Amino acid sequence: MSRIKYIQNLLETKQISCVELTGKYLSSIEKQNPVLNAYVNVTGDEALKTAKIVDEKISLGQKLMPLEGIPMSLKDNISTKNIETTCCSKILRGYYPIFDATVWEILKKQNSVLLGKTNMDEFAMGSSCETSCFGVTLNPVNTECVAGGSSGGAAASVAGNMAVFGLGSDTGGSIRQPAAFCGLVGFKPTYGTVSRYGVVAYASSLDQVGPITDSVEDASIIYDTLSVYDSKDSTSSGSKISTHDKLNKSIKGLKIGVAKEFFEGIREDIKKSIEDAINIYEELGAEIIHFEMPKLKTVLPVYFIISCAEASSNLGRFDGIRYGYKTNSYKDINEMICKTRSEGFGREVKRRIMLGTYVLSSGYYDAYYKKAQNLRGSIILDFKKIFEKCDVILTPSTPVTAYKKGEALKDPIETYMMDICTVPVNIAGLPAISIPCGFDSDKMPIGMQIIGNSFEDYKVLNAAYQYEVQAKRDISPSMSPLPGDRR
Amino acid sequence: MKYELVAGLETHIELSTKTKIFCQCTTEFGGEPNTHCCPICMGMPGTLPKLNKKVVEYAVKAGLATNCKIRNISKMDRKNYVYPDLPKAYQISQFDMPLCYEGFIKLSSGRNININRIHIEEDAGKLVHERGDTYIDYNRGGVPLIEIVTEPDFRSIDEAVEYIEKLRLIMKYICVSDVKMQEGSLRCDVNISVREKGEEKLGTRTEIKNMNSLNFIAKAMEYEFNRHVDIIESGGKIEQETRRYDSDLNITESMRGKEDADDYRYFRDPDLVTISVSEEEIRKLKNELPQLPDEKLAVFVNEYGLPKDDAELLIKYKKIAEYYEEASKDSTNKKLASNYILSQIFRRLTTDSEKEECRISIPPEYLGQLIALIENKKITSSMASNTLEQMLDSGKPASEFLSEKDMQGIDEPQLREICIRAVNENAEAVKSYLEGKEKALKSIIGYIMKETKGKADAKLAAEIIMEVIKK
Amino acid sequence: MISKEEVLKIAKLAKLSVEDDEIDKLTLDMSSIIEYADAIASAEDEIVEFEKINSIANAFNEDIVLESYERDEILRNREGGENGYFVIRKSLRG
Repeated sequence: MSRIKYIQNLLETKQISCVELTGKYLSSIEKQNPVLNAYVNVTGDEALKTAKIVDEKISLGQKLMPLEGIPMSLKDNISTKNIETTCCSKILRGYYPIFDATVWEILKKQNSVLLGKTNMDEFAMGSSCETSCFGVTLNPVNTECVAGGSSGGAAASVAGNMAVFGLGSDTGGSIRQPAAFCGLVGFKPTYGTVSRYGVVAYASSLDQVGPITDSVEDASIIYDTLSVYDSKDSTSSGSKISTHDKLNKSIKGLKIGVAKEFFEGIREDIKKSIEDAINIYEELGAEIIHFEMPKLKTVLPVYFIISCAEASSNLGRFDGIRYGYKTNSYKDINEMICKTRSEGFGREVKRRIMLGTYVLSSGYYDAYYKKAQNLRGSIILDFKKIFEKCDVILTPSTPVTAYKKGEALKDPIETYMMDICTVPVNIAGLPAISIPCGFDSDKMPIGMQIIGNSFEDYKVLNAAYQYEVQAKRDISPSMSPLPGDRR
Repeated sequence: MKYELVAGLETHIELSTKTKIFCQCTTEFGGEPNTHCCPICMGMPGTLPKLNKKVVEYAVKAGLATNCKIRNISKMDRKNYVYPDLPKAYQISQFDMPLCYEGFIKLSSGRNININRIHIEEDAGKLVHERGDTYIDYNRGGVPLIEIVTEPDFRSIDEAVEYIEKLRLIMKYICVSDVKMQEGSLRCDVNISVREKGEEKLGTRTEIKNMNSLNFIAKAMEYEFNRHVDIIESGGKIEQETRRYDSDLNITESMRGKEDADDYRYFRDPDLVTISVSEEEIRKLKNELPQLPDEKLAVFVNEYGLPKDDAELLIKYKKIAEYYEEASKDSTNKKLASNYILSQIFRRLTTDSEKEECRISIPPEYLGQLIALIENKKITSSMASNTLEQMLDSGKPASEFLSEKDMQGIDEPQLREICIRAVNENAEAVKSYLEGKEKALKSIIGYIMKETKGKADAKLAAEIIMEVIKK
Repeated sequence: MISKEEVLKIAKLAKLSVEDDEIDKLTLDMSSIIEYADAIASAEDEIVEFEKINSIANAFNEDIVLESYERDEILRNREGGENGYFVIRKSLRG
């Protein structure tokens, strides 16, 4: 059920005012955020100001825009004018953008109620929020576990009933993995359909902004609102195909591709959950098509070569001269810059910058970066061939469920391997969604991923929606319709 | 001379587009520091560049005007290095697929200087050092540049100077840059090496960076050439390095001790998309090109019959050349307009910039009208000179200063009268003529010309004189 | 295997300082990651053009001036700068 529609109905029928509604979410944040640490910055005043404007519109009998009056959160790498934007890094503490990211501008025009900025892995580099300078975000489903990353705060804000939806960003799985860990819907759109302007870049050719919600319909509504062409983003194409009006389409005859390579290294219970989901799809009349993807294993090194290379370049600008943190002692400019960066960046960020610098450096460029880009081309072609036979691809979202805080893998390679299912999507610029499809024995959510062909976001959302309806997934049992209400 | 100079030039030229290369801030020169900036040219986190179409057009024009091939498909790359004047810590430039390549400029000697490439890139901000502190103004950051790189084809300093002057003139003619060296809109790096005459192998080269004066470039090259020779003669080894020219001491000094050679880690900029220039587009831009300096020179010399030196003086300033063309378009003798421009008019345009801007107080049509009066024998050339001075003083046309009487020609009865008088006054000459000395006629005609202040039609006068004499 | 010297060279390029107690772990980490990356050396590939990821071409701005930002905003994160400039002091004692 669409929480957005539910709430807008309450607002339009004046069962609750927007200010009251916002108050409920702010209380929820006050109560839970000290433990969950989903928000790094709560913008209560801004939120209530917007809520008042919405109430005025309602009192004048005006119809609400699709996301009007909806309390939401933004990941802290999305530029918000005059509101601190830190990317959860010491090097951007106290940084106030002088402009808005396009996605925020769109929501602002719709009078969406910004509750605050959410926690993330520093500069989006990580999958647990443990690299955030503000500490880890806990999983509302089980506070001994992490919410995931890098959009952990966004996921926790929704799963903890502290926001109706959150916007996150996804470079290698950063929307889908936390959504899977928290039992939510996380959608990464086709590359280029949602503007990147104003979103602090991690890896420019991989980053996309997308919604985390607790229903597919909400993800669809948000995507349709955000997927407009942005002239400020040269890589922007927008989406010419709306998704919301296609959710109800029957998926009889839908060709769902399944490849065994996506199931290697996946925990048994997760595999089982996905298999159950496959059965449900077959019940709905979909056709399961088996294919092979032998190049899948190479995707991970390709991913971190490209992402680290682009990141090392994107993060070069943080030198303390124009904004952000600056070291307080140095003997010359070069030392000022080195110390600022070394003191301002965390360990993981520094490591990725070093790796990125290495793979681009003379002598290594051909063997690593150039080779990785070429392999990327092959992978894209492979996907093209697969989508000639299939409409969508079904995979697990993650190899494990949310791990316990502090148990994040120490070995860097194993950490990267956690992204095996999600990373290929970014490499090929494809749309993909993670939706809940079960629980493990500890009642931790399991997510499955549906991947579509470029610009076929509507197919992905349609397939996900049909599953959701069939599996009778309603609002998560732990979440009441509105925060603070009794279920 | 035992040794030969071998040099190549890298020239950075600021394009005269109204806006910067990746954002729509103004490129206006000057302005209070940091008042021509926006989040994009400041490289603020999250911002994205977008390419100014005019920059591509201007760059293609520059390529076409220097005989380059134009790439139909090209891209932008990131050149990564850290320096306070570079907000993103990378310069967006073009690495391995420059927009233009394989062109040339012909020198007056007939030798070609081959151009390896022309690519587009963004300029950095400006640093000011004061008492050890560094002040940064980002107004210039993002201003569009083209970089023109030659092969090491220069064999003398004069050639380098001529090349730069020719390049400047071409860029001015095609209106892609105001190439004001003193304002920094044209800067040169020189790569120079020395070898024994006849030797095929190139010597070790050094680079002298960032000079924006022809005088300094010439001096720096001379100094560096001698420095190389000294080292070679004394058996030493030349270090391949970057140097800067100190104009006060007239020396070059090593820039080593600054950062080690940077590894720029070039890679394609993922925020920008492919630049595709169609053949049709190239044709269209080619048609928009005006006549280039060398072409104009050829027309002035070969078609209009101007002496080469005069023609060169005219084409040196595009607007003067155009003024001349307009002023002389209806004349038979194209030299007249040129003479007046180069003498009387130029005397009033004392500075180069006045000539550049063609600050002549009368429009070319007025000069054209004055010349027509001469050619139609309505006035003499000395009258014309005086009138021109008055025209230039006032900005008014010739008709303001010449009365009906002044402009009156001599009609036949008048001429007859004068001829009769001439014959009577020049009895000696008449006698000589009758004795068969043809020349004598000329002196009578000369007398008539003097009397009529040059307005008489000499041919007609000769006929009438003969008639009169016969009588 | 990447050597310590190479790691320090990379750090210099990246404008990062690596403490003595960090260098060994960093070298180890980078070595294992790079070794893992070496796996792609033997993988078959095709020459890719950027066009396969993003088929957009010719995204252009028109050459029309838009008002620049106020200087106060540009300098907002550096307390207005000094006389309108960004300033880096020659040196600073903590």
